Amino acid sequence: MALNPFFLHGSQAEQRLVQELINEQLRMYGIEIYYIPRKIVRRDSILRELQSSKFDDNFALEAYINTYEGHTGAGDILTKFGMSLRDELTVTISKERFEDFISPFLESMDQEEINITDRPREGDIIYFPLGQRLFEVKFVEHESPFYQLGKTYVYELKCELFEYEDEMGGWDNTNTTTEEIDSLLVNQGYITNLYLYPTGIAATATATIGSGYVQKIFLNNDGYGYTSTPVVSISTSPSGGTNATAVAITTSIGGVDSIKEILLINAGSGYTEAPTISISGGGGTGAAATCGIITDKKGITRISVNGSGGVGYSTVPNVSITLPPLSPQISPQFKAVVSAAGTISEIRIVDAGAGYLSTPTVTVAVGSTVGFGTFWLNEVVTGSISGATARVKTWTESTSILKVGTTKGDFVPGDIIVGSSSYARYSLSGITSERFEDKYEQNDVIEEAADIILDFSEANPFGNY
Amino acid sequence: MLGTYYYHEIIRKTIISFGTLFNQIYIKHKDGDGDVYSDFRVPLAYGPTQKFLARLEQQADLNKPVQITLPRMSFEMTSISYDSSRKTGVTQSFKSVGDDGKLKKVFMPVPYNIGFELSILSKLNDDALQIVEQILPYFQPSFNITVNLVDSIGEKKDIPVVLDNISFQDDYEGDFSTRRSLIYTLQFTAKTYLFGPIAENTEGLIRKVIVDTYTDTNVATAKREMRYTAVPDPIDAGPSDDFGFSEEWEFFGDSKSYSPTQQSDI
Repeated sequence: MALNPFFLHGSQAEQRLVQELINEQLRMYGIEIYYIPRKIVRRDSILRELQSSKFDDNFALEAYINTYEGHTGAGDILTKFGMSLRDELTVTISKERFEDFISPFLESMDQEEINITDRPREGDIIYFPLGQRLFEVKFVEHESPFYQLGKTYVYELKCELFEYEDEMGGWDNTNTTTEEIDSLLVNQGYITNLYLYPTGIAATATATIGSGYVQKIFLNNDGYGYTSTPVVSISTSPSGGTNATAVAITTSIGGVDSIKEILLINAGSGYTEAPTISISGGGGTGAAATCGIITDKKGITRISVNGSGGVGYSTVPNVSITLPPLSPQISPQFKAVVSAAGTISEIRIVDAGAGYLSTPTVTVAVGSTVGFGTFWLNEVVTGSISGATARVKTWTESTSILKVGTTKGDFVPGDIIVGSSSYARYSLSGITSERFEDKYEQNDVIEEAADIILDFSEANPFGNY
Repeated sequence: MLGTYYYHEIIRKTIISFGTLFNQIYIKHKDGDGDVYSDFRVPLAYGPTQKFLARLEQQADLNKPVQITLPRMSFEMTSISYDSSRKTGVTQSFKSVGDDGKLKKVFMPVPYNIGFELSILSKLNDDALQIVEQILPYFQPSFNITVNLVDSIGEKKDIPVVLDNISFQDDYEGDFSTRRSLIYTLQFTAKTYLFGPIAENTEGLIRKVIVDTYTDTNVATAKREMRYTAVPDPIDAGPSDDFGFSEEWEFFGDSKSYSPTQQSDI
């Protein structure tokens, strides 16, 4: 026997006492940190790296700051990649407290995501509340102090500030950790500003009046077999007039494709006799139409949509117009066309009316989409048209600006942005370029400057223009 | 002796032109099922900056919660050198018409090579590879960009950007006091041209030539008999355009002379 059997290098009772004393000291002189375990989402088995991780749990734990005089490490340095904060931190936590308090929770999690549960792990995150910063565990020292009374009692966690990518995106509809920690990251990472409309904005339009115009097109025969939109040709106006143009609207009833109606885009002017109308193409045959003209009164020859055509239209709005003053008056009728972006793209003339002396006022009803609700932090929002998705970073109701991260796809103006958990929904009016909140990124600045001096008349494989 | 002030911002324009090549690089991240859950444009910036400005802009919050946001790209100019292989005659010049319609005399530009370095910092090798693969195939080994180097003469030059070298640093070995550092560095040469001062002529571009011929050498008494007129076709062609001439011959028996001051026959 090599050792003297009359001397013990620590009995279990002594070891227990030391552990209790350490636990007590840590709870008196330590600080409360949050231990945030890394969960594996996607691992590249060839390159041997975790391509995606998530951090959606946290555990409060007492820890003693070894580096109590301040952060160690290289400090804040300027690199070619901008500011890099190389602060480091070393904290000591109780081995027993980790095993009793955190390990059981880790064991209850999906073991595909958590591969080690009985000790602190490199790659996990420590939330340091004094500086409100996130530190990544670089190394877990388990033998310091070295086997006092035959056992180790603490873990020493050597940490460095976290290198952020898009890990804190959530991955489910719960907040990542706590509001305190989540709020740290709302201004970090890749952020897209979505400008939302709280309510729809009415489109505006301007009417043009004239005489010698096509008042209405009469569909005498709706034909059959029109699987696509046929071309409507109207004979030209005499010299000095404006040619009328029209578009056919097809329909399918009982499996028969036919023309539903023909609407005027421009009623023309200067016609002295009714023009002929021919319908061609569209795969069908048999359709025929005639029209009537008005030469002695003025009617609506065209309705032009101003600007972008409003915002937030999901159904066809009512278009009203000042009635003609002359008697006998014929009230005009219109049909608005709603684009996929939720705007009014065109207003077509059903009946050009008659009896105007001056240009009447056109009123388009406001869009039916009204924004409502409050987006929740970290919930997924989806664009109704684009199908793009993102995670909510912040929502400012007063300015209607929604900041999102972890974007997939490109949102487009006209999207109805819907929150998956809050069910808040607003119409999207515009998007600022994606950017990093820390002002490092210059992509747009460089592109705008290059736009002036570069000749990409053929193509720019690297850019948008 | 060298004190004629001019500044065409050619090197600055070359920096911009080089930088914009890489401002639309995207990376995508996938979840456990292989579905893309995040795609974003990789931030790019010109590396050198004022230290105080970087601190104020990028670390306005002194307690920034994270070290850095990755991945990101940086580029910077690393060298300027004369390229003797593209040397042209020092006395050669050409004429150009500026936006103001005035004729300008320009000496042939001087060929210079500007070295650039594009650096890619990423946390994951996969991120870096996504970025690098979106760049490399365009360079065989050069990619031409057409740059309006001198605005006042509208001189567009094709500038080949040559990919000279690719290197990467993956510090994954060693103790755990440092984290893995993954940096790809691509070195390029932009073959640009530097223009000297541009002599501005007060006269406009001659767009019409009229030559009168006389039957006598005494032009004080002789009357023009025949007139040759030549104008470029099209009339608004510039010196650098591909154009022809319209010629006209006129014969006169009216005993008039052309007055250059009145610009008419008198």
